[in-house]
Amino acid sequence: MIKAHQINYKHKEFHILDGVDVSLEYGEFLAIVGPNGAGKSSLLSVLANEVKSKQKILFKNKSINDWEVKELSKHKAKFSQHNSNDIPLEVKDVVMMGRYPYFDAQPKKEDLEAMNNMMYETDIFHLKDREYNTLSGGEKQRVHLSRVLAQLQNEITHKLLFLDEPLNNLDVKHQYKALEIIKKFTKKANSAIVVLHDLNLAAQYADKILLMKSGKVSAYGSPQEVFTAENISEAYNFPCTICDHPITNNPMIIFG
Amino acid sequence: MKTQSKLYFYIIISAILLIIIAVWSLNTGVYDFGGKSAFEILGKIIKGDPSLSLSDKYVVWDVRAARIIMAILIGSMLAVSGTGLQGLFKNPLATGDLIGLTSGATLLAAISIVLGGHFKQYLPEAVQFSLVGISAFIGALLSMMLVYRISTSGGKTNVVMMLLTGVAITAIGFSITGFLIYISKDEQLRDLTFWNLGSLAAATWTKNIILTIVLIISYFILLPQGKSLNAMMLGEKDAQHLGINVERLKKQIIIITALMVGSCVAFSGTIGFVGLIVPYILRLLFKSNYAFILPLSAICGSILLLTADTFSRSIVEPSELPIGILTALMGGPIFIAILIKFKKLL
Repeated sequence: MIKAHQINYKHKEFHILDGVDVSLEYGEFLAIVGPNGAGKSSLLSVLANEVKSKQKILFKNKSINDWEVKELSKHKAKFSQHNSNDIPLEVKDVVMMGRYPYFDAQPKKEDLEAMNNMMYETDIFHLKDREYNTLSGGEKQRVHLSRVLAQLQNEITHKLLFLDEPLNNLDVKHQYKALEIIKKFTKKANSAIVVLHDLNLAAQYADKILLMKSGKVSAYGSPQEVFTAENISEAYNFPCTICDHPITNNPMIIFG
Repeated sequence: MKTQSKLYFYIIISAILLIIIAVWSLNTGVYDFGGKSAFEILGKIIKGDPSLSLSDKYVVWDVRAARIIMAILIGSMLAVSGTGLQGLFKNPLATGDLIGLTSGATLLAAISIVLGGHFKQYLPEAVQFSLVGISAFIGALLSMMLVYRISTSGGKTNVVMMLLTGVAITAIGFSITGFLIYISKDEQLRDLTFWNLGSLAAATWTKNIILTIVLIISYFILLPQGKSLNAMMLGEKDAQHLGINVERLKKQIIIITALMVGSCVAFSGTIGFVGLIVPYILRLLFKSNYAFILPLSAICGSILLLTADTFSRSIVEPSELPIGILTALMGGPIFIAILIKFKKLL
């Protein structure tokens, strides 16, 4: 799906990313975790081609720079951490932006369908005529999630979704709901790279975990492999205990 | 699909309104056609009636009709340039006059009027003819690039910086134009006063043809960008993820708005606030949906300027009020209204 070798990214003389390798298969859900300032968002930006890095990133076996911008937008979408607070439009107009790559002047029937379906999935359909600026933080997050998902509603196989802390401001129900939606998306041979802060949720939903510290990969593998007491205590500089989740048998991390 | 037919509905309604105002405007004025209405004269002109007196024909065709068409073209372009700039800067206060584009254009136009005479003979004929227009375009473009460089970094606009840069450019333009007025000869002085006050009285069909060409080129590029300007509200990176070539879009808006503002200044001087008033009113109806307000501002700008111009030449008959007085009278309160709304957001 996407392959990147030895990514370096510097701001002035400070290494934000230092020799990071990433490789993702079709249908994989990769969670990037790590303490603040570890370079998670930067890594996601580099992979999503937001900032130019000198290293080659291969997306579907073709350098990401060789892709045509409009074509690329039908294969991958990104949910950003800092979404604009000031968009003086109605919610449905914001979600419809996700369909912009697909129509010229007027939305087609499938665009309206995709918009409505995604608003249902993210539980914002009742807000569709509200003004975006009057929504709460969590509701705004769901609007953007809905927009990003609507962008990838098409016939193309193997799509890739980048999400930078999609669970911010969401209540418990919608946190789980969002992860269920992403999981469902990856079940259809699509892939997702998600920056998460909640390690237990990452353990429960992700196929692979990339644990970062100070711009380097400190552990990579399945949740069982990465989430060991040594790895986590070392990365976060905070004591923790690992036990089995009583229901799912995934590792469960208890801090303190 | 519903939204699209809504757009067409508003376009048709406002176009009809524009035609009604144009008809009213054609029949407004002090000249007496000897009991006949202006429409009869217009009918005769179209039919090529030989019984038509030359002065009647001149007043209806070369004075009034030319002026009406010029008001339509200039008003439309000023409004669209305002809407386009607001999309680029993501702020309803960005308009050609407030951020200094108009001043930059006026400044270079004034320089070319006063100093142009000295080196005019060395230039090719085509350039000589359009010297003022080209200088105005260059002036607008340079101010635009300066404002953009100073006020925008990393895709975010600092509104205070944007407006203050405009103030600075206006101050420079004001002082140099003042100096030019001081040193200029009588004939040049009349031209300069015209640029500063703004007027549509100098309308001719040749100017209208040039303005029409500028308008068609500009709208061909700018009007289909409504969607892209909407996406820009998400932020530049997110717009890029939606398949929009953000760098190209920004360059297009910068060059096209400079071209439109420059041509408007060259032919009608500085008529302020049209680019502020029209998008403001449209935003009250359609929020900030550029897919609506961009095409609609093209028509509503014409409506506003044609109405204002017809009033300006009929209120104090037989004299004429400078049109800038009327647009500023409407624009000032709207400027304050936007500021108050903006303050609440802070």
